[in-house]
Amino acid sequence: MAAFHLEMKVNGELVAVDIDPGMRLLDVLREVLHLTGTKEGCGEGECGACSVILDGELVDSCLVMAPQAYGKEVVTIEGVAALGQLHPLQEAFIEAGAVQCGFCTPGMILAAKVLLDHNPNPDRQEIARAISGNLCRCTGYSKIIKAVEIAASRIKAEAGAASD
Amino acid sequence: MIEKNIVGQSVPKVDAFGKVTGQTRYAADLDIAGALHLKVLRSKVAHGLVKKIDTSRALKIPGVTAVFTHADIPGSNSYGIIVKDQPVLTNKVRFKGDAIALVAAEEESIAVKALDAIAVEIEELPPLFDIQAAMAAGAPAIHDNGNVLTVTKIKRGNVEAALDQAAAVVSRRYTTQRVEHGYIETEAGIAYMENDMLIIKAGTQNPHYDRRDAARVLGLPINKVRVIQTATGGGFGGKLDISVQCFLGLAALKLGRPVKIVYDRQESFVATAKRHPFIVDYTSVAAADGRLLAVKARIFGDTGAYASYGPATLTRAAVHATGPYEVPNVDLEAFCVYTNNSFSGAMRGFGTPQIAFVFESQMDLLARELKMSPLEIRRRNVLRPGSITATGQELTSSVGIAKTLEAAWARALEVMPGLGGDCR
Ligand code: FES
Ligand code: FES
Repeated sequence: MAAFHLEMKVNGELVAVDIDPGMRLLDVLREVLHLTGTKEGCGEGECGACSVILDGELVDSCLVMAPQAYGKEVVTIEGVAALGQLHPLQEAFIEAGAVQCGFCTPGMILAAKVLLDHNPNPDRQEIARAISGNLCRCTGYSKIIKAVEIAASRIKAEAGAASD
Repeated sequence: MIEKNIVGQSVPKVDAFGKVTGQTRYAADLDIAGALHLKVLRSKVAHGLVKKIDTSRALKIPGVTAVFTHADIPGSNSYGIIVKDQPVLTNKVRFKGDAIALVAAEEESIAVKALDAIAVEIEELPPLFDIQAAMAAGAPAIHDNGNVLTVTKIKRGNVEAALDQAAAVVSRRYTTQRVEHGYIETEAGIAYMENDMLIIKAGTQNPHYDRRDAARVLGLPINKVRVIQTATGGGFGGKLDISVQCFLGLAALKLGRPVKIVYDRQESFVATAKRHPFIVDYTSVAAADGRLLAVKARIFGDTGAYASYGPATLTRAAVHATGPYEVPNVDLEAFCVYTNNSFSGAMRGFGTPQIAFVFESQMDLLARELKMSPLEIRRRNVLRPGSITATGQELTSSVGIAKTLEAAWARALEVMPGLGGDCR
């Protein structure tokens, strides 16, 4: 099979790789770019462990063919902490005890990030809906929702302080 | 000293940083140069004798390095936590999904192709999918010693005499279903040789038991095998059993090359343990004031093709069969039974959730029979300091159920103010 020349932005950096066009975005991230923070839990769009942000929207990278990412911008869990500084969501997940085995955590944090990017003031219902495509078998979700609430209020407080 | 004490303090999880940043390496994230990919050929029938395995066509596929079968196991071809009854690669199929052959290939896609090229001849035996069929006289034996693996009996007092004084007797049959743990990380691992030392890295809850069983099936002294647990993406009891460990060890040892295996979700569902489905016949006997006089129960657990933690699960079910209630007369028997279903093992609660569903349902039915509130009948029966359990243990302290019951009731009234009244 002829190779496909894939160009995309991953975590802010331009990436150009020649790949088998049958690969999923998930495979390119994990196997070609070695960004193994993106997980595979089911390979069929059920669990959300493979969630990444594609041009601002949350997608299951196991359901995206790699060529579909051509010219687009991908954010994975490795790109969430800016310059070594944890994102408020990452801090809040640690603080609230929202991380147990951690296998769902990258996808959860990205799902929550997309929510907060669009809606800085979510209520519990909206948080629950935003993470409804991401399965967690350990935590029972309540601490994850709590973590998102903590992060939202911190982001707001920081934004308020910055505009004063 | 005092300031170092973390009991009662909220401390960040030691491994949380790696998990929120995506740096933590789980088994499938481990890369090892030159690794061969492993795939398992699994049975499509539930019960049968493997008559012939022809691997010649598979071995001709470019990129296929080896195909292993039961004939290639260097040690004893059996493992298991409690009973050594599960083969790594089998010549007798006991459930749909039993492992028959292991392929090692340069690429995963080649290994998958090779699976289709292996020809297996199986002489089918009648499959036994339910406990009663498996226990019936004359049922084909799934294992050499028959289909009833263990029987746990707990007897105390005189149940027949208690029946004579009964104001209420409730007898019911309950069934519970098979449950998959559904940890989000599927089973995976790598293995390699370090001089004469075999190193296996895998997602597991039981590295020390894995090591013992891997050494056993590979015919190695235990000090020539290291099992290293990788960050594990959930287990809930389902990663206490061997999954990929022996496959990895076998291929790495025989081929002298690093190997890697990752189950997809379907294989994880098909090949690994489940919660035991139960059938329970349960009789509760109570006096007019609601006090339990006796319990008689026959508990049947479907452990499927292999024992795994079945004997302990059924023992636990028997021990907990009276729940948090004081019952002076008991006649309890729990049977762990082989069938041709996927094997059952440990899952959170270990047989207790199944039996809790039974004894709590019985309390509600008894309350109805005696026209008493479900709360009151529990108040009159809960274990307290000084109570003696069904297994004869006198409880002297730390018996929290009475307090818990009242606290739960108070909380229920808070969130559902409409309760109360007749319910009390
Ligand atoms: S791996 Fe993509 S949704 Fe589960
Ligand atoms: S923390 Fe284990 S699945 Fe969510």
